[in-house]
Amino acid sequence: MTFMRWQKRSVAMLLGLALSSVAPMSHAADDQQARQTVERVAHLFSSKSSITTVKMQITNEDGQRDISMKIWSLGEKILVRITSPQDEAGAAILKEGSDIWYYLPKSNRTVKIPPSMAMNAWMGSDFTIDDLVKETFLTRDYSISTFFEGKRGGVAVDEYTLTPKPDAAVVWGKIILQIRKADAVPTWQGFYDEDGQLVRELIFSDYKSMSGRLIPTRLVMRPAGKAGAQTTIEYEDVAFDVPISEETFSLPNLK
Amino acid sequence: MSARLLQLAWRNLWRNPRRTFITMAAIAFGYVMLLFVACLMAGLRWQMIENGTCLVMSQIQVHAPGYYPSRSIQKTLGGRQGTDVSAMLAAIISDRRVYAAAPRVYGYGLLSAAHRSAGVELMGIVPDQEPKVTILNSQIAKGSYLTARMSKGVVIGHKLASTIGIDVGSEIVLLTQAADGSMGNDVYTVVGIYHSGLDAVDRGLVLMSLSSLQDLLHLAPARIHEVGIKLNDITAATTVAAALEDHLDKTLRVRAMAWPELAPELANYVQFNRGITFVLFFIFFLLAVIGVMNTMLMAVFERTRELGMLMALGMRPVQVIVLILTEAAGLAVASLVVGGALGVPLLWYLQVHGLELGGATGGVISLAGVVVGHLWYGRQDFPAYGQAALGLAATALVSALYPAWRAAHYRPTEAIRKV
Amino acid sequence: MKISWRNLWRNPRGTLLTALALGLGLALLLISLGLLDGGHEQTIAAGVRFGPGHVVIQAKGYQDSGSDELLLPAQVVSRTEAFLQTPELKQIVRGVSPRLLATGLLSSSANSAGVKITGVNPQDEPAVSLIPERIVEGTYLSNDKPSGVVIGAELAHKLEIKIGSRVVLMTQALRQPGNDTKNGAGEEMQSTLLRVSGIFRTGLQAVDANIIHLPLPAAQALLGVPDGQVTQVAILLQQEGASPMIARALLKQLAGEPVEVLTWRESIPMLAQILGLDHAFNYIMNGVILAMVGLGILNTILMRVLERRYEFGVCKALGLRPRQLAVMIIGESLALTAISLALGLALGLSVNHYFATSGLDLRWIFKAGLPPALVFDPILYSRLSSNRIIWSVSIVFAMATIISFYPALKAARTELPDALKAL
Repeated sequence: MTFMRWQKRSVAMLLGLALSSVAPMSHAADDQQARQTVERVAHLFSSKSSITTVKMQITNEDGQRDISMKIWSLGEKILVRITSPQDEAGAAILKEGSDIWYYLPKSNRTVKIPPSMAMNAWMGSDFTIDDLVKETFLTRDYSISTFFEGKRGGVAVDEYTLTPKPDAAVVWGKIILQIRKADAVPTWQGFYDEDGQLVRELIFSDYKSMSGRLIPTRLVMRPAGKAGAQTTIEYEDVAFDVPISEETFSLPNLK
Repeated sequence: MSARLLQLAWRNLWRNPRRTFITMAAIAFGYVMLLFVACLMAGLRWQMIENGTCLVMSQIQVHAPGYYPSRSIQKTLGGRQGTDVSAMLAAIISDRRVYAAAPRVYGYGLLSAAHRSAGVELMGIVPDQEPKVTILNSQIAKGSYLTARMSKGVVIGHKLASTIGIDVGSEIVLLTQAADGSMGNDVYTVVGIYHSGLDAVDRGLVLMSLSSLQDLLHLAPARIHEVGIKLNDITAATTVAAALEDHLDKTLRVRAMAWPELAPELANYVQFNRGITFVLFFIFFLLAVIGVMNTMLMAVFERTRELGMLMALGMRPVQVIVLILTEAAGLAVASLVVGGALGVPLLWYLQVHGLELGGATGGVISLAGVVVGHLWYGRQDFPAYGQAALGLAATALVSALYPAWRAAHYRPTEAIRKV
Repeated sequence: MKISWRNLWRNPRGTLLTALALGLGLALLLISLGLLDGGHEQTIAAGVRFGPGHVVIQAKGYQDSGSDELLLPAQVVSRTEAFLQTPELKQIVRGVSPRLLATGLLSSSANSAGVKITGVNPQDEPAVSLIPERIVEGTYLSNDKPSGVVIGAELAHKLEIKIGSRVVLMTQALRQPGNDTKNGAGEEMQSTLLRVSGIFRTGLQAVDANIIHLPLPAAQALLGVPDGQVTQVAILLQQEGASPMIARALLKQLAGEPVEVLTWRESIPMLAQILGLDHAFNYIMNGVILAMVGLGILNTILMRVLERRYEFGVCKALGLRPRQLAVMIIGESLALTAISLALGLALGLSVNHYFATSGLDLRWIFKAGLPPALVFDPILYSRLSSNRIIWSVSIVFAMATIISFYPALKAARTELPDALKAL
């Protein structure tokens, strides 16, 4: 059973990236330099608070769908408001801890989705649901080593292999992260299973300076097995460390 | 075989009426018992299948290829364009073996009321047609079933109602992922609460009108997921399913699945039961055979003297054997006819009125949660009836053969002296 | 009496035939009773072994609400186990298995799925559940693999995993009653890494696609359940008939604890309904068998008596009084019945023993080939209690004796000339 696959992918990826997608492990055997680089990349989108305007495009066998939304985040709290398309505009999602609230403009109702029940309903759901619910569980989960240093497609990059620590609760056999040497921005991330097969890849591009940081404003997540399926996220505007009142994250404000 | 032999055989039978009657009674009664048992066993199998399929599943389901078991909402019959639903239903019902057919749409979502929610399975039905195929409409404990007028009404299970804390008249929100990926949602009213006895259903199934579910899922009216079918004879399910597939394939690619495919554990249980009943039938058969064989053996041995006399009078051994076998055959046939005649009203009674069980069940018999009484209905199993008849006839012949052969080989003087 | 006995052996063939017929009747009665009882017991066992067993102990209210948060304190488990180990009860109990039940999300690199978590003790569960017997790949849980998990074949297919694969189980810590947390803040999501150690196939879609087994301590740690608490204690018995008795005894033993003790009829009412029909079936079959045995006896004895009318006529001509003749006939009947019963018991019990130990293989009925997984064990094991044996023998004896009265009396009154005419 799939339920709101796009929902999870979209919010998941945003949260995953907002909170930290990859982090280094303080391990004596790790290359110090590599760790620092990866750490910086991991925290590229982290901040105490942020307001982001995003456009997401989901392409799969059912067709293509474009969704625009505005996201406020403050610590653990996140508010997402959908601005387009027309039939979804006004919908909002509030996440506090592990409780999730939806406001549905069509029904003019607010619905609570406790994660346990949500998991029940979301059987067979998106593999990135773990990004949605828990912060940076990938932190401390991987050890890093340098895999390759040189040019890829004419660009000088460092490629790092992230291998899960023995008891780390992650499904990947390994992750390969490609970072541009010149300005330490991520260019490509590959997720592999334990047999070494690529399961999905994340492609970064369109680097712009926003709110004082150089960030990739276009992210494309592509599953390896399904031809033509992908999800694209475009950051239209990002503001880090802006003051946001707590009331923003309240139920009445959902409407 | 000469006519004289036949005549002799016939007269011999009636020379000792009591013996003949006892033998006939043995065979006839044995046959009636076998008929009785076969009928009840067929009835039991039928009942089990009916119990397993009448609530929601129905006996045959027709889907688009690939729809089952993932039940992806995009895979509607006829693909994205859908199909002419009424034409398809008409094509299905045109098969005489089909009793009724009803269209269905399915979805999964969240049911929410007053800040409590639960994951549910949504089933969109046509209130005028679905009750002919399944019986959930008869399980309403409170409120009422859906009617054609209630477009925003839903019917939910009693366990779901108590988990969420709602009742008839409560307002609920259904939230789901629509076919185009958007968040389908709307407000509905609970019009009825059912009690099916099946935990999964009582906790998780929400019935609503087919067109409102299509609206919720952003599916066009021509798009449905399934047609549920009820047959006149449930045991023909697999054959009818194959026939329907062929018939419908001319206009539309479909997959018709009969209940053994949909519920393999039920099919497994029925098979298991069939195995046990076959063994039992065999035992009953042996019991019947004891009576028959014993009787025939005695009957023939007893006539050793008589047979000896016949041989003394010039009858050849082979003729003696043939004579006896003829008698046995005649006897068997007559007995079976009598048994069959006695059996017919019994079988009819079992099928129409059923067997009253009283306290035998150790409780009442329920049909998916509803008490239907203490009746066990029989069903006709003609192949079994035929096999039983053949078996008994064969037994009669075989059991007459040995003593006949022995008798035929006595020397006439010895035979006469045997008393 | 002596005459009776000698009379029997005057016509050994006839006597033996009759005895064989009667004996066979008894034997078949015993065999079919054994198979029917065995089948019934087996069907119930199959049903309860996929769930809560014959008797289950749960926190009060769990049956109705199904709420994951309702747990049993650890002392309930230990007291139950201690109680059921006592010598009298030990023989009736086949297995006791404490379990922790919850829901969670199982993810692999390819996909994820909602699952029903069952935390079990690897050494206790196989005595109760059928899942350990249906492993098709790998092995069941064991104590030396604390992070092993066993999943169904359909789930394995969906998640595209094999033996040894990495999976992550994510769940929400169970909120303990009385432990007031701030809105949402305390309900942390927990994840743990598991390795697939075994894959099972039961044939039940609901089980193969949803249920996972992992070691109880791992489940307790993941769900934040303190102090050895569990959701239920499932108990499997040797005979389902003992369920109410055990349930009552446990209820008494655990008085004072907030528990509910349910027999399988209460915990799986649907199964009870399905089996109600099965029970009725057995009942009717017993009746039919008895009727047929009775008729076989009637038939046999009648034939025997008829055959000997001449002989009786001669006896009477020689001066034997009617009463004496009747007594002689009855005496013969009794002796014959005794022989028959002995034969029948010998045959019936030995065949029954064979079916009880090796079972009756029903696999030939699957002519179309074996389905991928059989929910019900295709080998039928016979079960015959001593009660049944005594009952059967008594009934057959009674029937034979009563039936033989009629012809005895009839024969005693046969007129001389008629009897001689019987020639």
